[in-house]
Amino acid sequence: MPVAPWAVGVCAGLYAAGSRHVVYVPDNPLSHVLQILREDYPDVRTTIATREEEAFGIAAGLYVGGARPTVMLQSSGLGNSLNAITSLLLPYRIPALVVISMRGDEGEWNAAQAPMGQAIRPICAAIGMPAATAETPETTAATVEGVGRKAFDERLVGACLLPRRLTVPPPAPGGRA
Amino acid sequence: MTRLDATRALVALAGDEPIVASLGHPAYDLFAAGDRPANFYTWGSMGLASSMGLGLAMAQPGRRVFVLDGDGSLLMNLGSLATIGWERPANLVLVVWDNESYATTGGQDTATKHGADLAATARALGIAAAVTVRTPAELDRAVSEAAREPGPWVIVAKVSESTPIAKPTLDYVFIKERFMAAIGCGEPVVPGRRR
Repeated sequence: MPVAPWAVGVCAGLYAAGSRHVVYVPDNPLSHVLQILREDYPDVRTTIATREEEAFGIAAGLYVGGARPTVMLQSSGLGNSLNAITSLLLPYRIPALVVISMRGDEGEWNAAQAPMGQAIRPICAAIGMPAATAETPETTAATVEGVGRKAFDERLVGACLLPRRLTVPPPAPGGRA
Repeated sequence: MTRLDATRALVALAGDEPIVASLGHPAYDLFAAGDRPANFYTWGSMGLASSMGLGLAMAQPGRRVFVLDGDGSLLMNLGSLATIGWERPANLVLVVWDNESYATTGGQDTATKHGADLAATARALGIAAAVTVRTPAELDRAVSEAAREPGPWVIVAKVSESTPIAKPTLDYVFIKERFMAAIGCGEPVVPGRRR
């Protein structure tokens, strides 16, 4: 698997924000991040959760135990996470860096992903979870680091969205659309 | 044994170690049995006490982490047992107060009243040290062993419902800050700034 520059940026950004434990539910683009963490960040521990809500619960425990947790998920999983975020992390001011791989945005082919994908930003705003977007591979590290630093400094749950235009390479010329 | 009596016994055996309680009656009874800084009372997020305990156990491998869950809450997050069974934190003790009902919401039956066996489920998901206890003596023996021997442990304690007699504070940030300070993880002070 060739190294994706945006994924290198995600790893560098979360590491620079002081995170050494990533709890996640995998998706296809995030597999690039996980591979880089495995190969280049031996001091970052990863834990796979069965469901996104569970990942936020584990992250809350990591934080009160002195760690700075990152949660990684696909946008579809934010729906599974809302009760954990709104009734545990936010009221107790337990921070986390949240990296969200987007579905349902520009370039989506699966209509089942569209409603949640298009609602991600309004949902984040409605619950008081600031959401930034990683716009280019070159700026991804700084964006992720900035979201993480702000989250841990201000005890917020901060999200960094990874749009499909960033994570899914365009089809090769002459390839299938 | 009532849940409150069982909680009192648990607190006596936990020493200074952290205890995370599921929302509702388990948290109320933990407060009534003995309010202490190393108690984390959840007021929402039903089902996530065991997940929080797992995260804490991974972050603090030198501490024995106790979780007081309910049967209804654990049934909401059975995947947590699979994750614990995979990570196998030796220092995690998950106690499930199994009264076979959703007591906090009015006493509706849970599946454990109709055959669901949470200790067997835990074993099937990779947690070998999973037992069911029914008497104060069995509980005392199981918790004493779990406080000493490598886990993870799941102790399903069949308890009878008892009306809660107290409730912890609703100041969530206070609960967290006091808890973190008690286990040596006090949050860094963010200094003020002058313009």
